[in-house]
Amino acid sequence: MPEVIARELTFGEAIREALAEEMRRDSRVVILGEDVAEAGTPFKVLAGLVQEFGPERVVDTPISEAGFTGIGVGAAMTGLRPVVDIMFGDFITLTMDQMANQAAKVHYMSGGMWKVPMVMRTTLGATRRSAAQHSQSLHAWFCHIPGLKVIMPSTPYDVKGLLKAAIRDDNPVIVFEDKMMYKLKGPVPVEEYTIPIGKADIKRAGEDITIVATSSMVQVALGAAVMLEEIGISAEVVDPRTLWPLDEHTLVESAKKTSRAIVIDEGYARYGTTAELASVIVEGAFFHLDQPVARMGAMHVPIPFSPPLEDATVPTERSVFDVARALCSKR
Amino acid sequence: MATSVVMPALELAQETGKLVAWRKKEGDSVSKGEPLLEVETDKAVVEIEAPADGVLAAVTAQAGAVIAVGKTIAWILRPGETPPAETAPADSGRHAAAAEPVAAATSAPVAARAAGKGGGRISPKARRFAQEHGIDLAMLRGSGSEGEILTSDVEAAIAAAGAPTQVEVPGSIWRLMAERTLQSWTTVPHFFVVRDVDAGALNETRKQRGPAIERERSVSLTHTDLLVALVARALARHPRVNASWTPKGIRSNEEINIGVAIAVADGVVATVIKNAGQIALGDISVQRRDLAERAKGGRTRPADIAGATFTISNLGMYHVDAFTAIISPPQAAILAVGSITDRVVPVDGRPAVRPIVTLTLSCDHRVIDGAHGALFMNDLADAVRDPEKWLQ
Repeated sequence: MPEVIARELTFGEAIREALAEEMRRDSRVVILGEDVAEAGTPFKVLAGLVQEFGPERVVDTPISEAGFTGIGVGAAMTGLRPVVDIMFGDFITLTMDQMANQAAKVHYMSGGMWKVPMVMRTTLGATRRSAAQHSQSLHAWFCHIPGLKVIMPSTPYDVKGLLKAAIRDDNPVIVFEDKMMYKLKGPVPVEEYTIPIGKADIKRAGEDITIVATSSMVQVALGAAVMLEEIGISAEVVDPRTLWPLDEHTLVESAKKTSRAIVIDEGYARYGTTAELASVIVEGAFFHLDQPVARMGAMHVPIPFSPPLEDATVPTERSVFDVARALCSKR
Repeated sequence: MATSVVMPALELAQETGKLVAWRKKEGDSVSKGEPLLEVETDKAVVEIEAPADGVLAAVTAQAGAVIAVGKTIAWILRPGETPPAETAPADSGRHAAAAEPVAAATSAPVAARAAGKGGGRISPKARRFAQEHGIDLAMLRGSGSEGEILTSDVEAAIAAAGAPTQVEVPGSIWRLMAERTLQSWTTVPHFFVVRDVDAGALNETRKQRGPAIERERSVSLTHTDLLVALVARALARHPRVNASWTPKGIRSNEEINIGVAIAVADGVVATVIKNAGQIALGDISVQRRDLAERAKGGRTRPADIAGATFTISNLGMYHVDAFTAIISPPQAAILAVGSITDRVVPVDGRPAVRPIVTLTLSCDHRVIDGAHGALFMNDLADAVRDPEKWLQ
């Protein structure tokens, strides 16, 4: 990290700064989405951008994710570098053909003659009391498709550097932002930087157990690590930062070091991101493991609207602490 | 580039097509778009156009054949081209059962299955650690929440063992000894006959005959030398004890060759004194000394250890009272000799202190029964009690 970090931004501010910098740097960068211009999105992440760049580069679209995602794919193929805003990650279901069958495959099927330098920004995460259709974490759907890159930033620093890298990438990249993290503050240097896509980050070094966590679960894992430290367990928190490409080496080496691993992700655990990450660890570190790899994800149910029930469906600092303590404990 | 002519899929669910007729013959020139063949589906007969300009070649399907959709049935070649070498079947991947598995589907080799030990569960790391440090997992109690053996349990065992466990790689003589004794002990039915014998006369004979041998042959006469001579003479009367078990039956051995077990740096070797019943006592001493020197110097010759029909193992010099020895097949017996020690024994109905030696005969019960063994020991005991009579 560069030296000058004498300021903090929120996660949302870091996103806005990344977009503004890239739009100033490259006139081909445009934003498409619902309520992105005047409203600046319901989370106010984009507030002010339309004032600087005008309604031709920050474009409010009708409520039609399939339509404006398709426009984004086509615009990317024909020379722009669009950033498509899907307000709730739950709505990516409507964009699946554009993303999985068009954006992901055009470069391959055209023999490299076309490319889709497009970014989709969308959200994930529960506990906002938004009910079952606005609380899912569906990033695994995109991870499953060759040709798409999937980014899961967990800090203001990471989201700015990764979003800028995503905009400059010639491939379709989906950035998932936990809507509960937009107010999270963290150090962000003033000067220019990007973060390479496909490189994990060890958010906290430890010796006894590896906690691999994505997106806002990194913050949960860090909270659990503090609790664990109080009972003498040293937890290492590894943030893959990008799910595809995936930095398998860092995950495996950490698990080899600690002999124990938990994988946390807010998507559904069944057939989800945690399954893939746990599999990578077991394949790479099997003879170094002292315990089975534990997976923690969303419960296999529609996310409830009832706050107490909703909170019970996703990993918390307490539940991560309990699982880690059990893996490290002895009879 | 040569252009393939494939059986086309004319309907979504179509798996095969019937080739009705070729409109062109092999070697004909064809133009792209002109009718090339007729294909029958379950609904209609369809004319298929040539996919390229060139010459029709390498036709592999004839009229009437039913062909999988997607399969190459001919090639259209430009001047100078030849049909590509036989390629993998162009069937749809879904049905390509015979094709090689696609390597990309496996991201990493599946970890080799670790050898299972019954009972408690063992973590993969603990198992690896135990193997690397020579810790026997069966001796450990697991401390995991359900009794699993964890790495910390293995580490504790390593610490408890102190210095890292050393595994000594045995030399060739030791390894051979290990193999031979294991094989004998596990396949030869041993039994043992024990006699305590008064060795006073034996000591006396050694005292009487020793100086002359020392003078003439420059070698000292040992108890072992005397026993070799006496055992050989006793064996002459008991051919069963000098015999061998073979798959065909009991083989009597013509010669009486006495092996003498000699401790060397790396194990034990049995050097052989041939025809021990027929040679002079001094010759036995000389041979025994030479054999021992060569054995201890690691210069044993093949003939030195070949052909024994009976072995004597004497641990008397180590102050052993008595012991049992393991037979060296194909020999049928071995004599274990303890130290000659003063013991209180009845002599003519009164307690007396006498030098006594305990002789233990190990017998292969396939060759020697209890009576054979006992009768041999009777004669041997007599020989030890009265060596001069037997050495005549």
